[in-house]
Amino acid sequence: MTDTPLVEMRHIQKSYGRVHALRDVNLTIRRGEIVGLLGDNGAGKSTLIKVLSGAVPYTSGEIRIKGQPVTMTSTNDAISAGIETIYQDSALVPQLSIARNLFLGRELTKGSLGRLDLDRMNQVAADLLKRVGISKNIPPTTPIGSLSGGERQAVAIARAMYFDSDLIILDEPTNNLGVAETQGVLRFVREARDTGHSCIFIAHNIHHVFQVVDRMVVMRRGTVVADDLSPKTSSIQDVEDVITGDHILV
Amino acid sequence: MTSTPSPAAAHPPEQGALRRFIAKPEFGPLVLLVVMLVVFTAINPAFLSLNNIGNALTFTVELGLIALAMTLLMTAGEFDLSVGSVFGFAPVVMWAFFNAGLLPLPAAFLVAMVIALGIGLVSGLFVTRLGIPSFLVTLGMLLVVRGSALWLTSGFPQRTWDAGDQWLATLLVGDFYIGGLRVYMSLIWFILLAVAFHVLLTQTRFGNWVQATGGNPGAARNRGVPIQRVKVILFMLSAAMAALAGIISSIRVSAANPNSGTGYELEVIAMVVIGGTVLSGGRGTIIGTVLGVLILRLMRNGIVLIGVPGLAYNIFIGAIILGMMALHAALERRHNAGT
Repeated sequence: MTDTPLVEMRHIQKSYGRVHALRDVNLTIRRGEIVGLLGDNGAGKSTLIKVLSGAVPYTSGEIRIKGQPVTMTSTNDAISAGIETIYQDSALVPQLSIARNLFLGRELTKGSLGRLDLDRMNQVAADLLKRVGISKNIPPTTPIGSLSGGERQAVAIARAMYFDSDLIILDEPTNNLGVAETQGVLRFVREARDTGHSCIFIAHNIHHVFQVVDRMVVMRRGTVVADDLSPKTSSIQDVEDVITGDHILV
Repeated sequence: MTSTPSPAAAHPPEQGALRRFIAKPEFGPLVLLVVMLVVFTAINPAFLSLNNIGNALTFTVELGLIALAMTLLMTAGEFDLSVGSVFGFAPVVMWAFFNAGLLPLPAAFLVAMVIALGIGLVSGLFVTRLGIPSFLVTLGMLLVVRGSALWLTSGFPQRTWDAGDQWLATLLVGDFYIGGLRVYMSLIWFILLAVAFHVLLTQTRFGNWVQATGGNPGAARNRGVPIQRVKVILFMLSAAMAALAGIISSIRVSAANPNSGTGYELEVIAMVVIGGTVLSGGRGTIIGTVLGVLILRLMRNGIVLIGVPGLAYNIFIGAIILGMMALHAALERRHNAGT
């Protein structure tokens, strides 16, 4: 049971017309590990994540989740398979409250007419905010638009944890955040792992990645060029060389 | 105040509640409405007479019905320019069927409503499936529908004076007296629908989806919200409400004129934005729209009563729109300043 990887992507190919975005990509995510996904712009990270979150269809290959082959044709497929993707700017609706965002698409209702159970939604949201340690006392009816960038990330991650997603994909979660806020988000990611969630962490800032991941996967020009780099044994310089391809020349 | 060491700490809920109330998008229109009522009544006390208010409310509701649906559509980030045309077209269809003896009135009513839903469906599909901006789609639809109404009738109004003894007509526009106030059924419909739309927008799952669709479509889609279906439903709703309003109007004025409703689309959008709904989507308020409807209609009524030439009406409306937009922009900036 524990030996079965959470996610296995095998021989994934993706072409946009004549552009080969992914070439024979294999990626395995085990339970409870944080995997850093690295690569230069255009290396195929985003495409791979979009395939795994059901946002774009793949051309060929196979995806297994907990050993079972699945077909991903929409984001709903991924969500029901336990994969939650948190995009940087399209995770939350700024005009809606924290509670309404937490339950967006999975609203708690009462009665048969689809009336929202706002009391229960606010109650759960308040408990969740307390549990995940958002230190300031923010009422769950606060609109997302008046939160800071770090608080928004925290809400998005808390949402994924609440809905028991097995895999949380974080797309550039530390972009545009201050030092303290970045630490908050990284603490959050560790907390998610400690409660049994796996994470894929995509970031341009290698320093952030090094602080939190168990393993690093590096992509270059549509393929995975390394998938077992550990922050314990590799230096930042080593990883940068793999990303740019300089290690081949040396 | 001086005796209390810390007034802010002593009355935090009151101050917070007051500030929250002022920050609400409905606050501006509410103040404007009260000021209007006071000024008009001070200049001409007849403005606040039961007779005048009753009359003003009657005309109000027809545009108001469209404004309710437009509020939801604009909250979802789209708008509909074809409502004025549907307002003229639907009654023409209904009365043409009825007068030709093809259908009884209720059946003709249903046919007109189904055709209106179809118009909304087509607009919605053009916007969502083909990705064409709603401005262009509904502009085209405006011309198609208005042209159909004119072509169908050869430009002549349809007679509607056989409506008197029809239960449907009584149900839609019958009148009764409460004290000295003559109340039309259409006003009751408007109140019921306003409450229903308010609950729909703020208290239901669908309402949450409408706000999310306008606020951040990408996030809504990632959460599994069917944003395209939400938009199509709202386009159909707006066309249906425009048809209902047009039919009510045709019974009240005893004529189904293929040209009626011309220019209503812009007046309705003005009502909605004055009420505090954001044109770009994400934030909408039915309460604000009701206030916006009252402001524009009572303004039209009051301006005449206080002796301003009726032709100057548009100057005031335009100035109010500009003023309200400036106010909303200022509030928005202050609201976002803390982030």
